[in-house]
Amino acid sequence: MIRPLVIFLAVTKNWIRSRSGLFFSIMFPVLLLLVFGAIFGGAGAGSASTLFVQNLDKNSDGTTTQLSSAFVEALNSTKTFAIKDVPVDVDAKVWARDRLGPLGGNIRIVTISEGFERDLINGTLKVKVGISYNLLDTTYQYLVLYGNLNETQKMVYQQGLVQLQQYNETLPDAKTSLILAFDAADQSAAVIKSIVINVANAFNYGIIGATNVIEFKEESVVGSSYGAVDYYVPGIIAAFIMTNGIIALTSITSEFKRRGIIKRLSITPLTKFDWIIGNILSQTLLSLMLTAIIIVVGWIAFRVQAIPDALTIILIFLGSVMFSGLGMVLGGLVKDVEAASALGNAIAFPMMFLSGTYFPMEFMPSYLQSVARVLPLTYFSEGLRYALIYKYTEGVLTNMAVVSALAVAFIILGSVVTRWKEK
Amino acid sequence: MVGLAMTEIVVEVKSLVKQYGRLMAVDDISFDLHDGEVFAFLGPNGAGKTTTVEILECIRSLTGGSAKVFGYDVTKREDVKEIKKRIGVLPQEFSALDKLSVKENIDLIGGMYQKKLDTREVIKLLDLEDKTKERFENLSGGLKQRVGVAAALVNDPQLVFLDEPTTGLDPKARREVWSVIHNLKRLGKTVFLTTHYMEEAQILADRIAIINKGKIATIGSPQDLISRHGGRKTLVVRKGSKELAKTLQDKYGDTVLDHGGDVVVKVDDVKEMWQLLATLTDMKMNKDIEIQTPTIEDVFLKVVGARITEEGELK
Repeated sequence: MIRPLVIFLAVTKNWIRSRSGLFFSIMFPVLLLLVFGAIFGGAGAGSASTLFVQNLDKNSDGTTTQLSSAFVEALNSTKTFAIKDVPVDVDAKVWARDRLGPLGGNIRIVTISEGFERDLINGTLKVKVGISYNLLDTTYQYLVLYGNLNETQKMVYQQGLVQLQQYNETLPDAKTSLILAFDAADQSAAVIKSIVINVANAFNYGIIGATNVIEFKEESVVGSSYGAVDYYVPGIIAAFIMTNGIIALTSITSEFKRRGIIKRLSITPLTKFDWIIGNILSQTLLSLMLTAIIIVVGWIAFRVQAIPDALTIILIFLGSVMFSGLGMVLGGLVKDVEAASALGNAIAFPMMFLSGTYFPMEFMPSYLQSVARVLPLTYFSEGLRYALIYKYTEGVLTNMAVVSALAVAFIILGSVVTRWKEK
Repeated sequence: MVGLAMTEIVVEVKSLVKQYGRLMAVDDISFDLHDGEVFAFLGPNGAGKTTTVEILECIRSLTGGSAKVFGYDVTKREDVKEIKKRIGVLPQEFSALDKLSVKENIDLIGGMYQKKLDTREVIKLLDLEDKTKERFENLSGGLKQRVGVAAALVNDPQLVFLDEPTTGLDPKARREVWSVIHNLKRLGKTVFLTTHYMEEAQILADRIAIINKGKIATIGSPQDLISRHGGRKTLVVRKGSKELAKTLQDKYGDTVLDHGGDVVVKVDDVKEMWQLLATLTDMKMNKDIEIQTPTIEDVFLKVVGARITEEGELK
């Protein structure tokens, strides 16, 4: 067992002394965390998105109806938006553009149609139930994930879901009482849409009279204790453990191969497995260092409380093994240094953005979500998020199982394609 | 060579073949290495030198024939372990970890062996003491090669392979490496050297195998090769005359007066050379003379029919 340790020490020292290696493996992710955190409002206050609301639902005396006002108030209570009222008699788009100015950013308008209150009271049940169903579904998942739901409660929820779904199908189409308008280029559209719909859901449900659920839902919409930066901390750790494995290790091993260093070592009693184990140990140490640094920076800059437990460390170890195994596979397949680094980049970058690392996968179209489900990083970053932030052990273990299986597979494949003897 | 039969055989190669598709990289070669000798493979690039050496180092498979090192078969897994413990290698274009120091790099290779020398001892042997803490990337080409040799010696091997140890080095660095190889011989190591430099083989090797296109063209000690293939010895009388040329032509044949005015006489052997010198003494000759004996370069030219450029190509 001494030889892998000798390799581990040598490659680790060689890496730590290389400035470009340190920059890309440690400094770059730290910078990225600071930039992302700053942009997406992790630093406490965070600026609210401007949301224009045109309320066309008026009483005969010209005042807004009670329920439509309450809806606007509900939107406001999410603290996500800076709500601006749009007068009834103007073209909302033109009016909003004028208010924002030519460089004022994206326009988001919610139009509350005339008859909003009437429809709600008279029961355009399709809208209500349809939305309610979505709400109940998400609520159910939320409770399963984070709540303390007992088995009976779970059953009741599930039965309720099925019944609502069946009921939903029997109803005639209803008319739309809310219209959301976005700029085509608005990247926040999906997020804002989901918030508005969630508020509408909660609101709807309130009208029906299921008070418990409203309270709960309002709480979750108004803001759990988790912010965007909580999302980025595990995401960036996962993404850079991935790039360190795929890009850095791939180019290091192909460089070692090109310069004959691997050949020189293969002449000694060192075995292929010793070599691979030594490199994986080195990558694991690097991953733990990266995790520690990102967590500390996340805490100092954004007060993100990500406390690694034993499970986190095991997961990080497995993730490092998985991605250094994948790096070994790529490095073994490609001899040319440039080609190896190009291949590493070509795999790492799409994976980084498709795996729900920087933004939730739910924002992506469903076909991309299916792609994400076959990417190793998806499971690693999800597991790490559960482990570091949400402390949801069952979720960690499920993802860990996938990561472990892939780790074993990549290591086996990596040791097959690593050539220890010339042809 | 006297007493050769009594020395131990360290490497034994019989009818070795290495084939890549239709290319015969090594084409049925046989040779032995004896304990304590410096053996040189002399040949151009692509002759099969490195291929043969790497088969013996157990990092390349063979197509046919057999190769044994210390009696162990290079094709047998268990034997390979024994061979690897006992050999030291300076590979072609040796390289090490850039950011590690001289000592750390030698320790890295040393760490692969159970039995090894003290790194300081090896560093002293290669005269690298004042470079111990220097990073590999900051060393000159000659120093890098010395680190390579140090790494090759760290497991105290009996047999050392030096694959093109001086290729790409300047003349000064080359001479430094030569003195290192002399020391290896003094230490009693068996050395397998490959080179495309005629002078290097002639100066360093006890025996030379000239290899070209995967075949051994000839094999023997430098003196042996020269006397077998080197051709005739030459005597030059500077600023000679037509009369002198005529006299010597009549007596020894093969004499010319070249356009520089020198008389050039070729004789078959040492005996004839002494007769020629006696003739010149009798003539009370007082001009400058020069005796030229053939070199390995002449042998190579004769055997292969071409010379090797500085870069290792045939011309």
